[in-house]
Amino acid sequence: MYQYDQIDQTLVDERVAQFRDQVARRLSGEISEDEFKPLRLQNGLYLQLHAYMLRIAIPYGTLSARQLRGLAQIGCKYDRGWGHFTTRQNLQYNWIRLEDTADALADLAKIQMHAIQTSGNCIRNTTTDQFAGAAYDEIEDPRVWCEIIRQWSTFHPEFSFLPRKFKIAVTGSPNDRAAVRVHDIGLRMHKNATGETGFEVIVGGGLGRTPFIGKTIRDFLPRQDLLSYLEAILRVYNQFGRRDNIYKARIKILVHEIGIDTMREKVEEEFTATKDGALKLPQEAIDQIAAQFAPPAFEKLGGVAAEYANAFRTDFEFGLWARRNTFKHKQPGYSIVTISLKKEGEAPGDAKAEQMTAVADLAERYSFGEIRVTHEQNLVLPHVKQADLPALFRALKAYDLATPNVGLASDIIACPGLDYCALANARSIPVAQQIALRFKNWERAHDIGELKIKISGCINACGHHHVGHIGILGVDKAGEEFYQITLGGSADDQAAIGDLIGPSLNVRDTVEAIDTLVEAYLRLRKSSDERFLDTYRRVGLAPFKEAVYAVA
Amino acid sequence: MAKAPKLDSQPQVVTANDLKSGDVVYLTKVASWSRRIADASVVANVEAGAALLAIAEAQAKMNIVVAPYLIPVDASSMPPKPIQYREVIRADGPTTETRPAA
Repeated sequence: MYQYDQIDQTLVDERVAQFRDQVARRLSGEISEDEFKPLRLQNGLYLQLHAYMLRIAIPYGTLSARQLRGLAQIGCKYDRGWGHFTTRQNLQYNWIRLEDTADALADLAKIQMHAIQTSGNCIRNTTTDQFAGAAYDEIEDPRVWCEIIRQWSTFHPEFSFLPRKFKIAVTGSPNDRAAVRVHDIGLRMHKNATGETGFEVIVGGGLGRTPFIGKTIRDFLPRQDLLSYLEAILRVYNQFGRRDNIYKARIKILVHEIGIDTMREKVEEEFTATKDGALKLPQEAIDQIAAQFAPPAFEKLGGVAAEYANAFRTDFEFGLWARRNTFKHKQPGYSIVTISLKKEGEAPGDAKAEQMTAVADLAERYSFGEIRVTHEQNLVLPHVKQADLPALFRALKAYDLATPNVGLASDIIACPGLDYCALANARSIPVAQQIALRFKNWERAHDIGELKIKISGCINACGHHHVGHIGILGVDKAGEEFYQITLGGSADDQAAIGDLIGPSLNVRDTVEAIDTLVEAYLRLRKSSDERFLDTYRRVGLAPFKEAVYAVA
Repeated sequence: MAKAPKLDSQPQVVTANDLKSGDVVYLTKVASWSRRIADASVVANVEAGAALLAIAEAQAKMNIVVAPYLIPVDASSMPPKPIQYREVIRADGPTTETRPAA
């Protein structure tokens, strides 16, 4: 894992000292709220409905056990003993006091963490595949590139006041688990005809008010040119992106308005002028960072571990969990474990401090001290010996962390919604909780199979509803909470924006409608191998729409 | 965020967030701030609402609270109940809250 050097640590420590002074000046009245707001936002501090909310960056979703334990302690000391994992692989504390914020940030700095790049119109924390460095299908560990982007983008003076926020995602695998096609820039690693690894560069994707699937601006970018090319895109965006209208300020609108070909011409022109300059990455710099992500000392294991095989045969619950919550590792004898933070009836992505501490302890015991955060609001232990899976399962169960529902209907993404968020129009979490309870029956849930339900409480789409197989968007209709349902969205390598099914529904009818849609799918599917999304793509909207509105 | 309804001659109170803690607060009859809507000063017409808001804005300038605004309430029973569900959630806390109190 990447460890701070002296430059990183000094930068973070100085930032804490600077913010401590800014908070003191705000509390003493030396600066007004209007003056303070942009400063607090640059330090991840929002004022939400009930309290201040502090958003902590988890760079590319990677945490050490020590960091996760530290986050739990900070959650106890300054919050109410909870943390909330977000769709940006970050963590939010929902009950922070302004007067405590600098102390909380100082505690974070001690575990090499901060809240930089979690707000404001800058390049935000780069996200990636939660299985990075572990997945069997990976070409290269994308975190090396995320860290290079992190070092380039943090406090980049030219890009600290962009027209709007800017999000970059990287996948090192052909099977996209990082939703790269719905980011401002998506980078997909692949090999060219000569076997050289580089990037497909995708630009102008995004969700929010105006969703777009990103367009490929370059099929193959050599690795050493990554930063020059990113800088060229950012420069074009910074110059031509709209600043007259906040709703049209993201790069997706620029790409849409001028077209990908004109965008490409402008970027290439900038890139050609600068590509052999200071940003060209020397191999030794790449190697130096790559060394920090060197694989842990895996044991050489062969065959299927007896403990694993026995538990699979004899322990039904373990079998369910192992089938849903583990993923194939690149190293024989190891598995990747997803820890569901979606126990039916709980708030998606919420973790109690004792759960975070337990995961940290288990990571030390079973996963080389490493933890990942997924954009689907779960946690991951990336390197678990298969022989250890039964013991890990039992330990997780004791902390309510062994729900066998990864990728199933109850594994719902939900933004905080109107229960917490000052921007929301409607609640998300209670809708997610009610829907998840409908799919608590494991037999039905596993029979339904993969189904991604995503809920946002407003058009800003933090809950990624546009790319849900079933998407739910909360709207305010004459002072009441209503929900629009979309079908057929997807965030993977076949990314698609969902289609609106019809008029919005109230909470109760929305929950019923999801059940109805699933029943319709079970009737329509060709076989149990055909996922909800596949059935939708085959039969289209009509039969689903009919099913919902015939009843509603 | 849902649009706030236009306020006319209807019961209304002033709410804001406390600067230091971020807590939801309501302006009281004695021009202090309470975390309980039951303590809020309820007024019933546009002029009185504007006067109440002016007091609150002065206190925002004194760095006691952040961003005060008027909200309509149903004052037919005590405590007054906000009309908008956003404000009901602000007054009562998250509807999903299963957490220990602060």
